[in-house]
Amino acid sequence: MQKLVLNIIYSFLLRGFLKIIVGVKFSKADFLLEEEQFIIVANHNSHLDTMTILASLPSKITHKVKPVAAADHFGKTKLKEKLTNFFVNTLLIQRKRDKENPENDPINKMIKTLDDGYSLLIFPEGTRGEPEISQPLKPGVALVLLSRPKVKYVPAYMKGMGKAMPKSDNLILPYNSTLIYGEPTSIENVESEKILSQIQRDFIDLSNKL
Amino acid sequence: MENIFRFDFVENNDLLIVVGLIFSILVFATLLFFIVGKIKPSANLTELKARTKSWWMMATLFVVATIINTKISYIAIGMLSFIAFRELYSVLAFRDADRRAIFWAFIAIPIQYYLAYIGWYGAFIIFIPVVMFLFLPLRIVLKGDTNGIIKSISSLHWTLMLTVFGISHMAYLLSLPEIDGFKSGGRGLLLFLVFLTEINDVLQFTWGKLFGRHKIIPKISPNKTWEGFLGGLISTTIVGYFLAFLTPLSGFQIVFVSFMIAFSGFVGDIVMSSIKRDIGIKDMGNTIPGHGGVLDRIDSLAYTAPVFFHIVYYIAY
Repeated sequence: MQKLVLNIIYSFLLRGFLKIIVGVKFSKADFLLEEEQFIIVANHNSHLDTMTILASLPSKITHKVKPVAAADHFGKTKLKEKLTNFFVNTLLIQRKRDKENPENDPINKMIKTLDDGYSLLIFPEGTRGEPEISQPLKPGVALVLLSRPKVKYVPAYMKGMGKAMPKSDNLILPYNSTLIYGEPTSIENVESEKILSQIQRDFIDLSNKL
Repeated sequence: MENIFRFDFVENNDLLIVVGLIFSILVFATLLFFIVGKIKPSANLTELKARTKSWWMMATLFVVATIINTKISYIAIGMLSFIAFRELYSVLAFRDADRRAIFWAFIAIPIQYYLAYIGWYGAFIIFIPVVMFLFLPLRIVLKGDTNGIIKSISSLHWTLMLTVFGISHMAYLLSLPEIDGFKSGGRGLLLFLVFLTEINDVLQFTWGKLFGRHKIIPKISPNKTWEGFLGGLISTTIVGYFLAFLTPLSGFQIVFVSFMIAFSGFVGDIVMSSIKRDIGIKDMGNTIPGHGGVLDRIDSLAYTAPVFFHIVYYIAY
């Protein structure tokens, strides 16, 4: 049921809306079908980012990709939590680590979701920033990759989303924007700092292609 | 089905001749580049081939959208305005404080095309240059951020003028009343305008490539030459003379109108070039392979459409 709803929303309605009205150019994401599991790592400027990436996915795997989102923002009420989990297929986590209660710990939650067979969509910048200005990356994604080194990460870069729907404004305006994907990459380093700087470099490489 | 598709153009020989002519030119160009490519493999024809391929797409879309049914035509031309507006405003670096005004500018597009559709001439002609031009600054001013407000207001006005007001005259051609003894009607006029504008672009390009020596405005468009400009001007005027049957105009009038289309097409082209030069980009996008963005293709129409419309409106209506 949820799979069908997600397919109609993302592969049909939102893809059409983003392409024709907002003016987003997608790069092809069909290569993701060849990966069994992956973590999409993207820059974050707008609420449209999650929508755009989900809409760009091949419809076969839309329901297999869980966007990771902050519980304090999207899980304020039980109803809001249920709705986001159903319609955006999110994995809600808290922003701070929780050593005393391992089940509630964000890193463990992400690893468990991977073990359940899902792929993840992570915005390592944490919160939405100014359009086209990158922020320092949070280490969570690196910790997850370190404990599941067989899972590849796929860098994704979006430009213009923060102009179509900035943080300060809930009005969506059409704006010529782009989403491009990089190559699926396996981690080589054992230090989380180096993984983060590698991802940061991927973002810069992708932004230079635009 | 009959509401969606109107095939009466099949009985209208005048329109059919020109549609046939358009596709003959495309067949000729495709064959020409194919043969030249075979004889001289060294010649770099990739861009010309990409352009021709895109011309096939555009010509087919245009013929389907404008000749077959006029209701779809208004929507199709409106979409053209919408995409062009989005392209241009996206590169103009507006401030966050302008977003509400830009929203209203977007809303103005369907309204302008609705006015064209119902044929309310008075409202159509003042809606953007009076109503919107007075209202949009108010919306920006209410935000209270005066830093850079002149640039915002004037950029927004000029974007609307180029991409919506000018282009919407193409749609109004379809709403012009019928004239006794003039069969082709608005569709004929629209076909004449678009065909002549685009053939003028192609001819100026071709003359310039073949004989171009003396640069006309090197600072703005280094590829524009006097030879290309004058060659295009003369040959377009001749082509227009032979297509007079699409318009209600007579001998001297048609020469004048064709000349004005060729001239204003050139102006539209260099005005858009100078805007791109100021921003520091080459093309408005890559929507149409070989041509750039939608606006790169319809930049001349932003000038030729209102010029052609008002000359014809003055003479014949």
